[in-house]
Amino acid sequence: MPILETRNLTHIFPNGAAAIQDINFSVAAGEFVVLAGANGSGKTVLIRHLNGLLKPTKGHVFIEGAPIGKDIVQARKKIGLIFQDANSQIVGQTVAEDVAFGPENLNLSPAEVKRIVQEALENVGLSRYADQDPHLLSGGQQRKLAIAGILAMQPKIILFDEPFTGLDYPGVLQVLGEIMRLHKTGHTIILVTHELEKVLAHADRLVIIHEGRLVEDGLPAEVFPRAEQYGVRIPLGKIEGVESMTWLK
Amino acid sequence: MSKQSAVAPMNLRMTVYSALFTTLIIIGGVNIPIGPVPIVLADFFVMLAGLFLGPKWGLASVLLWLFLGVLGLPVFAGFKAGLAVLMGPTAGFLPGYVLMVLAVGLLAGIGKPSWARNTLALIVGNILLYPPGILWLKMLLHLNWPTVLAAYLLPFLPGTVIKIVVAVALGQTLLPRFKQAVSEASWQPANDNDEDEQ
Amino acid sequence: MAEMTFFHYFPRDSLIHRMDARLKLLCMILLSVAATLAGTVTEFAFLTFVLGGAICLARLPVVALLKDMRLFALLILLLVAANAFFVPGRPLPYLSIPGVSQEGLVMGLRFAWRLLLILMVCMVMTGATSLLTFKNVVEWYLRPVPLVPAARVATMMNLTFVLFPVIFDTYAEMRAAQKARCIETRKNIIKRVMFTVAPLLSQTLRKADEIAYAMEARCYTEERTRAVFRTKAQDWVLTAVCLVICLAVALR
Repeated sequence: MPILETRNLTHIFPNGAAAIQDINFSVAAGEFVVLAGANGSGKTVLIRHLNGLLKPTKGHVFIEGAPIGKDIVQARKKIGLIFQDANSQIVGQTVAEDVAFGPENLNLSPAEVKRIVQEALENVGLSRYADQDPHLLSGGQQRKLAIAGILAMQPKIILFDEPFTGLDYPGVLQVLGEIMRLHKTGHTIILVTHELEKVLAHADRLVIIHEGRLVEDGLPAEVFPRAEQYGVRIPLGKIEGVESMTWLK
Repeated sequence: MSKQSAVAPMNLRMTVYSALFTTLIIIGGVNIPIGPVPIVLADFFVMLAGLFLGPKWGLASVLLWLFLGVLGLPVFAGFKAGLAVLMGPTAGFLPGYVLMVLAVGLLAGIGKPSWARNTLALIVGNILLYPPGILWLKMLLHLNWPTVLAAYLLPFLPGTVIKIVVAVALGQTLLPRFKQAVSEASWQPANDNDEDEQ
Repeated sequence: MAEMTFFHYFPRDSLIHRMDARLKLLCMILLSVAATLAGTVTEFAFLTFVLGGAICLARLPVVALLKDMRLFALLILLLVAANAFFVPGRPLPYLSIPGVSQEGLVMGLRFAWRLLLILMVCMVMTGATSLLTFKNVVEWYLRPVPLVPAARVATMMNLTFVLFPVIFDTYAEMRAAQKARCIETRKNIIKRVMFTVAPLLSQTLRKADEIAYAMEARCYTEERTRAVFRTKAQDWVLTAVCLVICLAVALR
């Protein structure tokens, strides 16, 4: 049974324009999927359906075989979403309090919340910033904070929406390293990006969305040569196969 | 629902917008010079709260602002302690803000949206803003009418006119987009209609 | 991020900082009531001494606080002057200034002193209590109040505090961008305000949208884990002291 599946997922805006149309795809537990597409292709709309932030006009999303509408809180615990703008995700006045937001919503006991927060912060290496103002963190650290906030919910799947936007080189390395570690510890990763060269080498699969439709779904090495026709940039210069497409050394 | 229930997305959204307008009102109270004369924009954002959020959530914004002041936080224009302002000479203007946001929200919500209707709502709102404040000042400082009006009404009138014009203009440009965004979010309630999935 | 200090919390490790914030708020209310009821010079002086002591006990930066009060001082001066001139009464006993009455001056000074005391109360409270604690205390007090959605008020307070630096920065950025494009040369003040406010508003509304989504994604509810407060013996002692002061002034 796939851990995540969509069937005929369609979303039509009130003005009649289709954001996504008949998206069928499934993800197996432990997979690392890269979802690519040009701006406006419908990537963000698609992933906002995966945890029920948007409601499909037609079609369904299943997590571990159950439709997500059945128990939306459970679904959102299982699938954590890291938004593109890490800054707008901050809802706490301190780093620790921000991470606590999720577990507090689950109405866990204060002691339990404290333990989970400490664990999550340790996990991403932000423990010593626990009492700091989150807005004073660097871009990479803010992204890590967002990850900690999601980890505190103990999800199985983690969705990243354009995790590298606006990050400098060290920031990208920090975040990419973190993503790899999460994958190694058994999380299923779905990563939305148009910057294939930073991450594709680590992916098990490459899915391309174009004008609201799923147009390619396969092994990265097979799919990526065709990516450019859908508006996804392939790095210039010498490409030594998909293996070279990472910023990690 | 047996398990934890999520908050209706529409309510959450309006809660966030409402808090945001409180923030804007507080920031509007920080004197920021646009041009030679410093302009306080708190009243301007109160007008916008009524126009954009309607009477209920607009009122929530203003009440939260006043409440933070009651707690002693420095949220009122130019002053460093809220509670002291609540007892000071300009305190009378604060209930005026409540009247204003209610009037603007209610009047702007009646009938078909138009700039004329918004203008009317804003003018009525501003007319309601001044009387309590001026009465309070008159009593506290033992001034006569001409002095009070010359010192506390006339200097603010040109600014008020400008603010109304800008608010109406924003009502024409931004408000339709805002309303659409809000209705889109409510058009697709993410977890309101869980039942239909079962 | 200069405005980070806007709310004037000074993190320290003092008796007042450590105090159970629920009782701290209660003490501040009691002292505010006392300041409002105070009438004689002895009472005013005594309360000033108590609050001055509290400011020192909380190790708040006195010089910085005084600087903040400049604008307030101007207001107080105006108030005293207005009362002195416009309240009818006998002329001053030693040096007579035309138009100034003794009753008026006393009335103005008394009002001004009272405001100063309230200001000091606020300084102690906001200086020694983090905004996070503030939010938790407010939620705790509001919970039993009927018709008030305590959790929602707390969430809104929290968002206001979180959004403040973000929006302020957006505002500053926006102003700099307009300046770079020579907005200063515009004669039309309406256009000038418009060009500053319109982008600010649309940006912040977009941000609010994102935050709402992010909160929803993290399972936002209004039945959340509640903050825990710990009350120590010395907190009760301080509260008792404040209660005695308040009663002493009230029952004079």
